[in-house]
Amino acid sequence: MLATVVDWETLGEVAVFSLLAGVGVTLAFSLAIVGATRMVEMRRDGRGVEAGAYAALMIIGLAVSGAAVVFGIIVMTTK
Amino acid sequence: MSDDVILVIVVVTALAFDFTNGFHDTANVVATSISTRALSPRLAVGLAAMLNFAGAFISLEVAATVAKGIVNADAITSTIVFAGLVGAIAWNLITWYFGLPSSSSHALIGGVVGAMIAAVGWSAVDGESLVAKVFVPALIAPIVAFSVAGIAILVAYRIVGRLRPGPVNRGFRLGQVVSGGMLALAHGTNDAQKTMGIITLALIAHGNIDPNNFHVPTWVVLSSATAIALGTYSGGWRIIRTMGSRIIKMDTAQGFSAQGAGAAVILASSHFGYPLSTTHVISGGVMGAGAARRLSAVKWGVAGNMIVAWILTIPMAGAIGGATYGITRIFGTGAVGPVVVSLAGIVAIAVVFARRVQRGSVLTAGAGS
Repeated sequence: MLATVVDWETLGEVAVFSLLAGVGVTLAFSLAIVGATRMVEMRRDGRGVEAGAYAALMIIGLAVSGAAVVFGIIVMTTK
Repeated sequence: MSDDVILVIVVVTALAFDFTNGFHDTANVVATSISTRALSPRLAVGLAAMLNFAGAFISLEVAATVAKGIVNADAITSTIVFAGLVGAIAWNLITWYFGLPSSSSHALIGGVVGAMIAAVGWSAVDGESLVAKVFVPALIAPIVAFSVAGIAILVAYRIVGRLRPGPVNRGFRLGQVVSGGMLALAHGTNDAQKTMGIITLALIAHGNIDPNNFHVPTWVVLSSATAIALGTYSGGWRIIRTMGSRIIKMDTAQGFSAQGAGAAVILASSHFGYPLSTTHVISGGVMGAGAARRLSAVKWGVAGNMIVAWILTIPMAGAIGGATYGITRIFGTGAVGPVVVSLAGIVAIAVVFARRVQRGSVLTAGAGS
């Protein structure tokens, strides 16, 4: 009975999308934290090149996280 | 005249349900932010209230009218809607009293189904739809959120594990403000819509709105948004405590992962048109974030009580909704039954609150904890 009444395909899409978005945002934000923390440490140690690389990592992590938030708001407004 | 009175009672009862919905489900949005001290309790509920209010305006597409496809829509009357709302409100208050997070949407569906069965019989309920649209999602939602939050926290620990805890905690606390905000917006969009749908249906049944020109009046949007925001601001501290610290003691990374996973699952389900309960999703996320670190970190006794409450929600709200319908019919088909039940309900709630207030503040107990 369950096989016929439940929309397993949509359910599978929800699970995969949730996994990608949930883990992806945490990954991106964690990388942003690593970038921010290491950037401060490198700047303090006078290692400008490394500090720049970590700053880029922070910006990319924040940009991906911010994009996810914007996408979420678009999903809410267009449903 | 009698129809006018019933309409007013249904509108007021729907707004009361909306208030309990915000009040009851505040915990879903703010508990993790409060327990990790990302936000102070008052600021967290204030922010959640504002975003719930804003969320109610984001989408006016009343797509998921409550119980649509589950009960025979042609047989719904204002009295059935009223009895269903009473069942939902009663169950929300009972679970709040015991500090158990349970789905307000399921309570509403259960209440309406129970009242429908009492009024028309089992034939008016589509059992297959109930399984497909309510029972299976109720089972799937916490499992998906549990898995996503579990994997997310393992990824986070792997990445930030070697950093000093100070900057990491500050970073995730900042992130929690955003992830909590997203949850509040999603909650306002999803849940205020249900009340708008119910009031609009009552207005159609009463002849105030042409069914061929379906629209939600501005006053309905405003009043629903205000009711859910006020309920949220009142804060169901008992449930916040359960969600925030009684299931697991969370660190900031776990709080962020639980909220991020919750927001991702809710938005994914919205995007693909597969409605899932906010409560079940966040609870699953909190448990997943705790269990991934250490299985014994989750207080499984508390989690078990929550799951029992989830299982009981539809039958209990249904039983109360059915009983309420039966009581209203004792007084005939007019407005007397709903008036008597409303007054009795108000008196019962006032007595319970008065007793609780004598023992300490009923709304803010635990606010500072």
